[in-house]
Amino acid sequence: MKSEGSIRIGVAENATMVRLGLSALLKRLPNLIVQVIELSTVEALKHCVKVQNIDILIVSPQFGGWFNVREFKHQYSTEDFKTLALITTMVPETELRNYDDTLTLFDDAESIAKKISTILNIEEEEEETQDTLSQREREIVAYIVKGFTNKEIADALFLSVHTIITHRRNIARKLQIHSAAGLTIYAIVNKIVELNEVKMNL
Amino acid sequence: MYKNKQYRPTDKMSDLIGENYTLLQVFSRFGLTLGFGDKTVQEVCEAKGVDCSTFLIVVNFLIEDSDRLQDHVEGLSVKALMDYLRRSHHYFLDFQLPSIRKKLIEAINCAHDAQLAFLIIKFYDAYVDEVRKHMEYEDQEVFTYVEKLIEGTSSELYHIEVYSKHHDKINEKLTELKNIIIKYYPSTDNNELLNSALFDIYTSEGDLASHNKIEDYLFVPAILELETEKRK
Repeated sequence: MKSEGSIRIGVAENATMVRLGLSALLKRLPNLIVQVIELSTVEALKHCVKVQNIDILIVSPQFGGWFNVREFKHQYSTEDFKTLALITTMVPETELRNYDDTLTLFDDAESIAKKISTILNIEEEEEETQDTLSQREREIVAYIVKGFTNKEIADALFLSVHTIITHRRNIARKLQIHSAAGLTIYAIVNKIVELNEVKMNL
Repeated sequence: MYKNKQYRPTDKMSDLIGENYTLLQVFSRFGLTLGFGDKTVQEVCEAKGVDCSTFLIVVNFLIEDSDRLQDHVEGLSVKALMDYLRRSHHYFLDFQLPSIRKKLIEAINCAHDAQLAFLIIKFYDAYVDEVRKHMEYEDQEVFTYVEKLIEGTSSELYHIEVYSKHHDKINEKLTELKNIIIKYYPSTDNNELLNSALFDIYTSEGDLASHNKIEDYLFVPAILELETEKRK
């Protein structure tokens, strides 16, 4: 399950027009931020899988003559990535079984985005319009910047550690701030705490 | 901004810059200086002792804004590319990031809250520290390894794929800093300075991203190729 950051997609296709076109399309998918790595040779593909963390490999079954997806996945079984077959000509049905899904030349941005979301298990963007902190969340921010641990915050508020962790995750998502140092600045600017209360260990 | 055209050794150097002003930064990192009259790319490079084909590979890669991972690039000198990357590190650490810091201090010092300013500078410093750590690691560990690999004296222990996977993390801190300034910094009357500092942060971020891209898409694959070659 991936929720933040960009999705890294390798595009392995010999035909330049198709590769560039698909790359351009991938970069403007609705609601998804994609980083494309174009691969034009089998050698480049091997390098890519070895040194880059890719989430999805989109590959033509004809890549490099004939692409044996099963063997390839087996060879790089320590790497965790999904595969999408890029269909540009007729391909025997049996070959496609080893891919997680297929793309065709007539897929539009919407349907590609849907397929990617499905195979990566990305949940539909729940319409979370509210990104101001709740009263409880503000309280927790105050504790965090004063240097309390999750356990200590839980004890002080009579909540479980698990609940605190959930709150912290929501805070990070709402504010787009993940570090304690960043939260400290936020808390001071928004008058949640006074500067002298802050534990200075930025 | 960029003209989409591949440059060749026989093109005029002044045209290359005139058509792509953002390449100015690449210039200084290759050790090239302005004032090249009507000389061609090749002539300027030769005069300055710069590897012309490596220079053009980098320039064209940036102009194209390429997403392509190269497996074999004809004419790429690993040594010259490494030299360029080293100079880039030097440029970021000793010139660009400090100059942003200066601007940032100037911008938030006039604001009312000196202690808040202090916190933000500290946050910025923590970010720079992380960039420094990463680049120094590359300078010391990675490049030394590659030098040995070229000489043929490498110990078999290190593989290039060990390095590489941690480029993303550094940017997280920068994103937070931008968020704090954009969304949460109390507004003051005089915003020009802060906006200008923020603009520089964005420019630097893009610059760092393309630097990382050169490392990931050009440099690392070249090393992998070198490793395979040497271990035959």
